[in-house]
Amino acid sequence: MAEYFTARGLPVPLELRRNPLTDWRKLVTIAAVVIVLYIGFNITSIDTGRANPSYALNIIAQLFKWDFSIMTPRDEFETFRDTAWWKMIETIFLGVMATAFAIVISLPLAFLGARNIMAGNPITQAIYVLARVIFTIIRSIDVLIVVIVLLVIFGPGNAAGVFGLAFHNIGVLGKLYSEAIEGIDAGPLEAITATGANRLQVVWTAVLPQITNPFISFTIYRLDTNVRLAPILGLVGGGGIGTDLFQSINLLHYGAAGLIIFMIVVTVATMDFVSAQIRKRLV
Amino acid sequence: MIETKAAGSTGGLRSFPRLPRMPPIVSIKNLVKTYPSGTRALDGVSLDIQRGEFVVLIGLSGSGKSTLLRCINRLVDPTSGTVIFEDIDVTAADRVAIRRVRRRIGMIFQQFNLVRRSSVFSNVLAGRLGYRSSWRTIASRPSSADVAAAFENLGRVGIAARAYSRADALSGGQQQRVGIARALMQKPELMLADEPVASLDPATSHSVMKYLEEINKKDGITVICSLHFLSLARRYGTRVIALKDGKIAFDGRPDAIDERRFKEIYGEDAEEVEIGPERSQSQPMSPADAEARAIASDPR
Repeated sequence: MAEYFTARGLPVPLELRRNPLTDWRKLVTIAAVVIVLYIGFNITSIDTGRANPSYALNIIAQLFKWDFSIMTPRDEFETFRDTAWWKMIETIFLGVMATAFAIVISLPLAFLGARNIMAGNPITQAIYVLARVIFTIIRSIDVLIVVIVLLVIFGPGNAAGVFGLAFHNIGVLGKLYSEAIEGIDAGPLEAITATGANRLQVVWTAVLPQITNPFISFTIYRLDTNVRLAPILGLVGGGGIGTDLFQSINLLHYGAAGLIIFMIVVTVATMDFVSAQIRKRLV
Repeated sequence: MIETKAAGSTGGLRSFPRLPRMPPIVSIKNLVKTYPSGTRALDGVSLDIQRGEFVVLIGLSGSGKSTLLRCINRLVDPTSGTVIFEDIDVTAADRVAIRRVRRRIGMIFQQFNLVRRSSVFSNVLAGRLGYRSSWRTIASRPSSADVAAAFENLGRVGIAARAYSRADALSGGQQQRVGIARALMQKPELMLADEPVASLDPATSHSVMKYLEEINKKDGITVICSLHFLSLARRYGTRVIALKDGKIAFDGRPDAIDERRFKEIYGEDAEEVEIGPERSQSQPMSPADAEARAIASDPR
């Protein structure tokens, strides 16, 4: 086939010059991946020698022997506030409160991080860049790291968890909101301005209808994610049902741990389903 | 001092030989607009537009048609020159005054510029915003007079039945008619149309242009409309103004544009493209038919 091109003095297309089975580029790529994985395996020294399958099966079986005593007060010193179902509700609201705090701060900041709002003069453009950089920095610090830092201020408990979660979400929601604002159609703004409307009326009639649905959708998405993250905060001392989960594992109360894990799974799955349903209707 | 000034300006108007009856509704003098990028969109445009005219602006893309229209209601701030609407100097008006001018000037757009997520009804009501306070916009329901006017205007453009639909559920032609109804809510004296049919098919284009013709003839609203197709300009305009590189290249009766003038406006290589004639089928096409066609051709 290559003769067709050489006979006409044309360059031969790559597809004809290369044999797909022996092309050195493909071989090099495969070799590189194998080498990286080999080095990685050595560096991490993944050791499966100490694994004990029969013991693990025993523990897994225990995880399913749910200990329902944690659902009610176990002695005269405990109230319903110490029961697992109450802790679960508390954990859900950790996520809710963190989302609420994050909205309050990220909503006004989002307008500063929207290119179309801040276009015009160099000062506002500098503020735009600054806002976006701040969002990115905040977002790049993981929730658990923020919670560990906040333990210094608040000590272990719900405060560190809520504010750690909220802080991370300022970065995430700020970015999502900003992008929703940047996505609006400028045409209606021009048309409403042309009717003689003032700035507030333009925002009210042409901007708000365009951003409410994306805002609600992003907020529910983050609420969902935050409720999913909240049970993990207990790992580092951020409060919630995670504290009880890790405690019962450390105390070898696998029946209790299994029940708590089950409750978390049900909660997260429900949130996931509800949030997807609501957001589907908002598009 | 003030008296002399007033007397002077009246004298100036009287001495204008081309204005036997009334002062022009729009008077543009030496208008220049240079964008920050350095583009000189308008380069010394002067013209007077009389009440009741149907002015069609033609010219190549980038010849300054959109900028000229937007300088009249000051969606674009001109670099220099003056625009007088009635007796008001639009170019010098402060924020409140410019809003009072804008509400007397309706405008429709190539992309219709409706709030897509809002209903047709609330889009039309938005035409009254210039007459409402911010407080009433946010906190109170529309007055019964505005509601009645909204349905009347929707009825005029033949889409009262779609009042409750979301604006983006309508076809292009229908959306442009919502745009016209929104502009009519302002009870405008002047209607600016920025390539109102450039996104529409030929049949729908004629249907939209006919509504503009109707408000021009029946309501006596002056229309300034930019168009791409010379055939539409000839069919609907009472006066054609051609812009070339920000300057007026032709100003006169539509039938005065011959082959030579056409090449002057559009360049030597240009050839005239006809938009399909108004009655392209064997039967006459009523606006309702045009709408039916528009719906059939639009999956939404």
